[in-house]
Amino acid sequence: MTRYIKTGVILFLICAVCTALCALVNEVTAPRIAANTENDRLAALADVSGGFTIGEQVDVGDGSINYYIPLTDGSGIAGYIVELSTSGYGGAMTVVASYKSDGTLMEAKLTSNSETPGLGKKAEEGWYMDMFKGLGGSSPLPASKSDLSPEDNAAVSGASVTFGGVSSALISGSEFVKGLGGAV
Amino acid sequence: MSHIKELTKGIFKENPTFIIMLGMCPTLGVSTQVSNALGMGVSVIFVLTCSNIFISLLRKIIPDSVRIPSYIVIIASFVTIVEMVLHAFVPSVYEALGVYLPLIVVNCIILGRAEAFAGKNGVLDSALDGIGMGIGFTMSLSFIALIREIFGAGTITLFPVGSFSGVITIPGLSESPVRVLTLAAGALLLMGYLKAFFQWKTARGKGGEA
Repeated sequence: MTRYIKTGVILFLICAVCTALCALVNEVTAPRIAANTENDRLAALADVSGGFTIGEQVDVGDGSINYYIPLTDGSGIAGYIVELSTSGYGGAMTVVASYKSDGTLMEAKLTSNSETPGLGKKAEEGWYMDMFKGLGGSSPLPASKSDLSPEDNAAVSGASVTFGGVSSALISGSEFVKGLGGAV
Repeated sequence: MSHIKELTKGIFKENPTFIIMLGMCPTLGVSTQVSNALGMGVSVIFVLTCSNIFISLLRKIIPDSVRIPSYIVIIASFVTIVEMVLHAFVPSVYEALGVYLPLIVVNCIILGRAEAFAGKNGVLDSALDGIGMGIGFTMSLSFIALIREIFGAGTITLFPVGSFSGVITIPGLSESPVRVLTLAAGALLLMGYLKAFFQWKTARGKGGEA
């Protein structure tokens, strides 16, 4: 009995020391990580805004849609930026996309993700989102790899789960924007 | 064995990648760019050295029956620390390493050295073993990444400094690279050839059949 208690106490102490070490480092790094994340988010919003004026953020939080931001030009609503949550091969992913009021995708960017370097990580590259741009309004966004051209299909091979995650997020974003109907 | 030998054995004689063949998963996965290899290498050196020191310090306290869970807790803590530090201060490397960073926890080199060396030897020797093995792993990983990136993409990606973008483009190769080398199949092929070369070198060194 004493042996089990001694083993338990030793394990507890090891875990306590390790947890304290991690907590100490977290205390130092957490503010910096939060600042980096916010900077990345602002940079992504600027990248997908297409030169329009970025309005006030409206939180949605219905699962796949985190929030939307109206984009305005001189005459009124020109479109929306939508932040979308989805999942890929490495877990949760976040996509920031801008749409015209009719649901046509203007720009998109994959931000936070843990996809595999060389495979799913390709979705961070500029050419990846070109497959979806201009679609979602009168022409549907590709829902699966079979909807792509042979060249695009080959380009995303080896990362079907990532592609599925990105395309489903962009489709739900397009449907959400259509539902807004040009309203703020 | 002298302290210096503990440090140098991991670099050539017992190189974790080419001789002991440990840590193959991150070696094949991360070696697509030199900067990724260096980032992963430095992370492994830190985790390996710190976990070796900790485990060596606690080797007489940790009961034999729970040594593996204890080692994993210690290793996972240092990996979490590396992850937080990279995320805060070198976010580009953190993003590039992706899922391979938390997977250092299950890197066979770390647990292998804890079990085979740090759990049985003194603190100084364990620290030197960790540093040497880490340097050996970093050198191998960077060497593989260098070959894969030069021939597979025609570039050498380092870290941006001032006006230097961090990417060196190799004329000729960047226009018509050997794309297979950037894929997992190319990594396996290259590993096979390099392993054969080091086997031949080792056999020659011992005076055996080359």
